[in-house]
Amino acid sequence: MRVPETSVLSDDLVRDLMAVGQVDVLVGVPTLNNAGTVTSVVRAVSAAFDQYFPRDRTLLLNSDGGSTDGTPDLVRGIRHDAGTVTVSHRLRTEHRISAPYHGLPGKGSALRQILTVADLTQARAVAVLDADVTTVTPEWIAALVRPVRDQQYDYVAPIYARHPTDGLLISQIVRPLMRAAYGWEVREPLAVEFGCSTRFLTHCLGQDIWTSELARYGMDLWITGEALSAGFRSCQAPLGQRLAPSSPDRPGFPDVFAQVVGSVFGCLDVHAAYWLSRTGSDPLPVVGAEFAAPSEPPVVDAARLTQTLATDLRELQDVLKTILRPETLAALNEAVAGDRLDYTDALWVATVGEFLIAHHRGIMSRDHITRALVPLYLGRVRSFLSQYSAAAPADVDAALESLCLEFERMKPGVVAAWRETVKR
Amino acid sequence: MTDDPLWYKDAIVYQLHVKSFADSDGDGMGDFRGLTTRLDYIRDLGVDTIWILPMYPSPFRDDGYDIADYTAIHPSYGTLDDFRAFLDAAHARGLKVITELVLNHTSDQHQWFKEARRSRDDPKRDWYVWSDTDEKYAGVRIIFVDTERSNWTWDPDSKQYYWHRFFSHQPDLNYDNPAVREEMWLAMKFWLDLGVDGFRVDAVPYLIEREGTSCENLPETHDVLKFLRRRLDEHCTGKMLLAEANQWPEDVRHYFGDGDEFHMAFHFPLMPRMFMALKLEDRKPLVDIVERTPAIPDTCQWGIFLRNHDELTLEMVSETERAYMYDEYAREPGARINVGIRRRLAPLLEGDRRRIELMNGLLMSMPGSPIIYYGDEIGMGDNIYLGDRNGVRTPMQWTGGWNAGFSSADPERLAQPLISNPLYGYQAVNVDSQRRFEHSLLNWTSRLIKVRRSSHVFSRGSTTFLHPANHRVLAFLRTLEAEQVLVVCNLSSTAQAVELDLRHLAGMLPIEMFGRSVFPRIGELPYMLTLGSYDFFWFRLRRL
Repeated sequence: MRVPETSVLSDDLVRDLMAVGQVDVLVGVPTLNNAGTVTSVVRAVSAAFDQYFPRDRTLLLNSDGGSTDGTPDLVRGIRHDAGTVTVSHRLRTEHRISAPYHGLPGKGSALRQILTVADLTQARAVAVLDADVTTVTPEWIAALVRPVRDQQYDYVAPIYARHPTDGLLISQIVRPLMRAAYGWEVREPLAVEFGCSTRFLTHCLGQDIWTSELARYGMDLWITGEALSAGFRSCQAPLGQRLAPSSPDRPGFPDVFAQVVGSVFGCLDVHAAYWLSRTGSDPLPVVGAEFAAPSEPPVVDAARLTQTLATDLRELQDVLKTILRPETLAALNEAVAGDRLDYTDALWVATVGEFLIAHHRGIMSRDHITRALVPLYLGRVRSFLSQYSAAAPADVDAALESLCLEFERMKPGVVAAWRETVKR
Repeated sequence: MTDDPLWYKDAIVYQLHVKSFADSDGDGMGDFRGLTTRLDYIRDLGVDTIWILPMYPSPFRDDGYDIADYTAIHPSYGTLDDFRAFLDAAHARGLKVITELVLNHTSDQHQWFKEARRSRDDPKRDWYVWSDTDEKYAGVRIIFVDTERSNWTWDPDSKQYYWHRFFSHQPDLNYDNPAVREEMWLAMKFWLDLGVDGFRVDAVPYLIEREGTSCENLPETHDVLKFLRRRLDEHCTGKMLLAEANQWPEDVRHYFGDGDEFHMAFHFPLMPRMFMALKLEDRKPLVDIVERTPAIPDTCQWGIFLRNHDELTLEMVSETERAYMYDEYAREPGARINVGIRRRLAPLLEGDRRRIELMNGLLMSMPGSPIIYYGDEIGMGDNIYLGDRNGVRTPMQWTGGWNAGFSSADPERLAQPLISNPLYGYQAVNVDSQRRFEHSLLNWTSRLIKVRRSSHVFSRGSTTFLHPANHRVLAFLRTLEAEQVLVVCNLSSTAQAVELDLRHLAGMLPIEMFGRSVFPRIGELPYMLTLGSYDFFWFRLRRL
């Protein structure tokens, strides 16, 4: 089978879709070697179709990146759970397609295939799930789809039930930076799961993003940013706790950090025309009742934090001199020199802001820039946890909110520097 | 008229209400003399069996299902001689006639009940089911939920409660009493000796009551029915008993026994699923119920139908399915009654000719003997405001003239008002005008029946569903010995393409049965067909 260069959908997939026809609810599940976890996700989707969308024409589309562990066969072969709705009383035929995606390896190509199928089948509402997650329930799908289908939202971001010290990469950089930039209080801007409307997905498909570097690692962020910057009606839906087992194939932390932060910075490049003129921040509506956060804080990988920031700073001085302003670097050196590292909010925010500008200006390899931030981030985390690891969740929440506001205070300076770059 | 003892397996039945078919004496109510004048019409339609709704003396509180005398004709319908003349005329035209046998209950105006309630010692007392309290058989479901609050009603005369599974004026007979069984056999014998070809037996699951049960489908009920069947078989041959048992297929199966109970039974669960599949544009509900239907004895047959004189029953569906059917087919609350929808075929399908044709195509090709409800062959409408199920029992619309040609009476005197709205009214929808143009629904239905009759594969063949990827297409093979027919139906409002796996039939030529067009020979590759909105094909497969 020859697939034309510009085709996102293979002939086999098109043939399958001809049989499916028009769809009301489409759930997309990108996979790559998820045989250990995909079964529960597929079952949850099937149960959701039965319980929450019994009259809708539904499709589960598994967009697979070339799994070698039998994931696609598993997806196709999973039988309906007999413990729920009696199969004979299900109104409609259940459609489930597993198809390989083509193009750039990574999430972007999978998403593109899912959204293209949704567009072709005129799906009224789309939800995308992560095949790695072991806590997916039918209610997740309902929470992501219903605001689109019933309340005409275009984009639904999830809210996970997290302990405040969980997901520090999100809470220390991604969330506050995206909030300050885009002006919306999105709790999980990097979420894999989301829901969206036909209107939004058609818009996304028309953007020139799908073959960019951002498409490899940053599509989740870009989707969020695109919804907010293009003015699509957006909301958040509480899903509950999100647990995914660590994969032995998962890249090391510096690689993950570089992918995430590089994607955040890349999104800000793409959406600059929007956020440069946006001021303040507004809460994004929450649809549905929130879940109680776990009371136990997550176990922190202490080994990762024991690297001394001082040593790293010394080694990175030359690099940091080109990235940071002199006063920021001086403050950082002073903070590290003390007995107890106190990487304050103001200092951290300044650090991130200046790295962002450096990244935007491309003063050196962008990958080098983001990787240079890794030890500073780890230092910041160590400093934050030394104050808040034993604190009450409410206090941690307050601290994180304070951090967000600090990022917002920083924004005018970033905007000015950004615009200065443009003039250059 | 055929002498085949299994004639009912090939029958195409026309169900009608004498009251609403044709009035000969201008009293505003149909009668047997009027019906007799219309037998040519029925014959020309292509059917071969007539099923008449109850024609017995009755106070008409349940449109004749409340019987006051089992061996007479209601005076409004004529005399016994009129009935004999009708029967002879039908037989002369090759038409068999089956009448109603209401076993479960009588009218409270029946002489038996009048005597039974005189006193607790009356010989007829034990012909009915009595109790000092209304607590016996607790939990048994109420069937007419819109009007009844209990299956017991207090009789102030004899100071006891009597049992009734239907209206309170229809007390249940006590089939634990041998005298009741014998008397009902005598009633059957009366009509059989006159020449009727069989009975549609009303409400059979409820004959016997036992504490701690649902009082439905009990083994003792089957004993009663087997008794009546034995008497029938001892007395005559070539007759047919058709069970009305609104139950799941596996429960109805028991009413066939080992070929020693009913000859036929209605397939109630199939009917709403045909409507469901159409609205969902998904074959799933239909395929599921047919595949769930157990095999029946070779001498037996299912009776399948789209509509009848009752509400479109939604008893044998799940709650989800029921809610869906109400929302899709009965948005007006007035269309809902008991657990069903009181609408005719055409209004249910919004007068859409294509959907009406498709549903009739399904009716004529699915396994079973099809039953056409009078008036549906011309697309008659209904009147949900007439109360009870009367809105689907309005006068037959013969012409666009005086009283639709049904009666010469003053219109105000008609027992039932005519349908007169611009869409379905008799001026727009009537036999006369449809006879005048070749492509009317009437003529199309007649041609459909003719094609169905051209092969016994539809009436006696096996059914094998194909499962193409396109769920909007229903495809199945009907096979009888060497003969095979492929049926392909597009349940969708939009054009569809479908690939059928027919490799095992490679080499055969599909010949479309209505126009006899030859289609490409079946090969090893998937057989591609395209169908227009609500289109269907019947292909005779031949090796040439």
